[in-house]
Amino acid sequence: MYDHFETPEPDEAVKLALRRIEESTARGEGSDVAGLEFNEVVVNMGPQHPSTHGVLRLVVTLDGELVKDVIPVIGYLHRCKEKIAERRTYFQYIPILDRTEYVAGINCEWAYVLAVEKLAGIRPTRRAEFIRVITAELMRIASHLVAVGTFTADLSPLGTAMVFYMFRDREDVLDLMEELTGARMMFNYFRFGGVRYDLPDGWVEKCRDFVRTFPAKIREYEALVDDNAIFLQRTQGKGVITQQDVVDYGITGPNARASGIPLDLRRTRPYSVYPELDFDVCVEHHGDVFDRYRVRIREMRESLKIIEQCLDMLPRGPVQVGSLRAPYVITPPPGSCYVGQENPRGEFGTYIESDGSRYPYRLKYRDPCFCNLQLFPKLLSGNKIADAVAISGSIDLVLGGIDR
Amino acid sequence: MIDILLGILRAVLFVVIAYVVVFVAALVNIYFERRAMAFIGDRLGPNRTGPQGVLQSVADAFKMMGKEDFRPLAADPVLFTLAPVTVMIGAVAIQLVLPYTDGLLATDLNVGIIFLVAISSFTTLAILMGGWASRNKYSLVGALRAAAQMISYEIPMLLALLIVAMIVGSLRLDHVVAFQAHYEWIGFYAPFTFLMFYIASIAELNRGPFDLPESETELVAGYSTEYSGMRFGMFFLNEYAGLTIMSMVAVTLFFGGWMGPWNGAVSLWGVDLVGVFWFVLKSYVLVFLLVWVRFSIPRLQADQLMGFAWKILIPLGLANTLATAAIILWVPSWKWGLLVFGWVSFFAFVGLFDPLLKRRLRRERERRPVVSA
Amino acid sequence: MPVTVGSNPRGMDALAALLAERFAGELTDVRVQEPDTVVVRCAPEKLKDAAARLKADPEVGYETLNWIAGVDQRTGIEAVYHVYSWKTNTWLQIHVDLSREQPEVDTVSDVWPAADWHEREAWDMVGIRFLGHPDLRRILLRDDFVGHPLRKDYVDLAENHPHV
Repeated sequence: MYDHFETPEPDEAVKLALRRIEESTARGEGSDVAGLEFNEVVVNMGPQHPSTHGVLRLVVTLDGELVKDVIPVIGYLHRCKEKIAERRTYFQYIPILDRTEYVAGINCEWAYVLAVEKLAGIRPTRRAEFIRVITAELMRIASHLVAVGTFTADLSPLGTAMVFYMFRDREDVLDLMEELTGARMMFNYFRFGGVRYDLPDGWVEKCRDFVRTFPAKIREYEALVDDNAIFLQRTQGKGVITQQDVVDYGITGPNARASGIPLDLRRTRPYSVYPELDFDVCVEHHGDVFDRYRVRIREMRESLKIIEQCLDMLPRGPVQVGSLRAPYVITPPPGSCYVGQENPRGEFGTYIESDGSRYPYRLKYRDPCFCNLQLFPKLLSGNKIADAVAISGSIDLVLGGIDR
Repeated sequence: MIDILLGILRAVLFVVIAYVVVFVAALVNIYFERRAMAFIGDRLGPNRTGPQGVLQSVADAFKMMGKEDFRPLAADPVLFTLAPVTVMIGAVAIQLVLPYTDGLLATDLNVGIIFLVAISSFTTLAILMGGWASRNKYSLVGALRAAAQMISYEIPMLLALLIVAMIVGSLRLDHVVAFQAHYEWIGFYAPFTFLMFYIASIAELNRGPFDLPESETELVAGYSTEYSGMRFGMFFLNEYAGLTIMSMVAVTLFFGGWMGPWNGAVSLWGVDLVGVFWFVLKSYVLVFLLVWVRFSIPRLQADQLMGFAWKILIPLGLANTLATAAIILWVPSWKWGLLVFGWVSFFAFVGLFDPLLKRRLRRERERRPVVSA
Repeated sequence: MPVTVGSNPRGMDALAALLAERFAGELTDVRVQEPDTVVVRCAPEKLKDAAARLKADPEVGYETLNWIAGVDQRTGIEAVYHVYSWKTNTWLQIHVDLSREQPEVDTVSDVWPAADWHEREAWDMVGIRFLGHPDLRRILLRDDFVGHPLRKDYVDLAENHPHV
């Protein structure tokens, strides 16, 4: 039945990998074994793979167990969001942003809403600003839980119950968000000039309960993982991102902070009410996998601090500009602007060009994972395959943002 | 004439018991592990097929049997079929020297302990056969790595068995169990030896933190990639049966085998049924420990794995053997000597290993330069 | 030297004046967009030199490329470069106008390595050809896709939907 089997024609990425092998062989770097032309094999870590987070395809050139070269192939989740923006009114487009970096969609909404508000000159109400910060920091915690959980799962796929503990605690955050916005992941909550719903009764108490009980959980995670000699051996010193890499490739977020650069848009380019809040920028200095993990854990604690301060400082007042609901159709004056926002993965921003009509003329995303993924070939080469999986897990990719 | 027939009948009975134990244990262990893994991860686990999900393994076995059985065209025809068959031999044959209870021992080989180690290398052989027969470069590499791991960890296991033999004074396993009457369990006399044996057995089973050969399926093939359906099922069942078999061996050697209170209370044709109960209970305590360890620690990398065996376990094992031998020879009340030495060495290892390793890691990290442009 | 985030004590207007003066040959129409972005225009043939000089400037070295966007202004195609200066913690947005018939500009991927994928995306979506780019292939769409979707005159072709 299976006698007739055709090898499919290699596609561009694989052809590129093969070409590079030929070039390196021509340069004399081929095989060191007599009788073999070259050592390297091109293997496809296909779009469906348990270790690549999302539909990412890595065309890996392997020499035995050592990774020589990685060519990431993306676009499997491309949904033409930028083109869709040109046919939706500004207001109609808000739900689509949640789906960009779906793990922490509210931050993406915020970037867009900030840009449109800047273009149109709308100032959100003060109560809404605080609520925005609370929801964004809650989703930052949820996003880091996913990132750290899946990363530890990568280190031993079938095992450590860490993933399940973290997802269980993420449920608490999602319950809070569901009570507030009606949805667990695709919120459609921010509006130009405020937010859609006010806090329901008792929500502040529930949030305070969460803030009170969560630090113990973080300590539990740290106890399970930080002190574990096997974990330390597998993560320390691996996948170092140097500061030159951060500058060259535009790496932002926890990946940059783990390399000793205090780049946090909430501090360096403050927006909303962050100037009034007191929190630290978590910086680590070795730039390896372990430090990226530590930065995320510490950031969860900082987020809790922020949430608590916001709950204390929450003013009364309306949550939307104007006495009635926020306008459905706005027509910002012609012009363009870019606003970057501190997404859990880095700087997420939207560049909006408006021509005065109801629809955006051009909407361009600046996605942090897109920029972080460019570093992959440099970062993964020279490591063993098992390390490569750990390193790619620590960069925290979400394909929704990369492919848009 | 009748004797010969009875002898054959007895032999067949024990072989049947051995196979039944292997298959039942495998199915029970799969269910047990999934439930225990779920419990550790704050989940439920299979609880639908059958009451409390006990028929889940049976359903999985049926599914596996129903799959298409094919062989890759390039695979070696004889070895490809032989590998899954061979892999079970180790698990079955070991039971022939294990005393399940008083009166239920297939054969009292006078080199029982050595037989254990010798037969357990059948699994290694089967894995190598499987990797080679697949005609897949990455399967071969995975199989070689698995074989290297298993061979390396056989040495600490052998050293532990040697100590047991020294303490008991005989290589026969029923003598080993008899020595442990009145709660004089060897595990109490030589806890560090048990620890060494236990760690080595986790590595032998390719389980827990030592399962790099299996996880190669992250990208490259493990030794069992080209196998599907019941062929793969044999590898899979053997791994889970091995949990029970290895625990049974550990219980026999270190925890008194079938000994326990009320031995002999219920007896059927000379077979002590209470003994069977204690044997199974103690084995499953150790199985639970194996499952627990698997889901609590991340996986060791290949170089950490081999380094741990050769640079830590084997030197410590050799030192342990020398010390035990010295104590038995020269200390007049050697049982007390062993007791003291055993617990001191156990606590020393457990207490010092982690801090020393962490200190080395910390020093390495401080030496590593801080990232700068 | 470790990288840190600097500050701009002189203020945006002074910065804009400095840029206008120092890069008078390459950058035109220097404007300030509050709170911390300077928007300039640049001619395509001068872009590469401007990029190298902007990056190497000791006072306002724009060392990091944030993103590159291709925009189809109906009169022509525009490439927008957004770069960041660590020393002053400000952004610079460079608009480059290209012709519709031949939207070509020199690549800046040897000046800012991050430009590699951003230029590929601009090629993929808008059709801007970056001369000298090491590997200008489509990045988000299929290799055999026909057309550049983010152009205003893009029509969805049947060749692009073979499965339907």
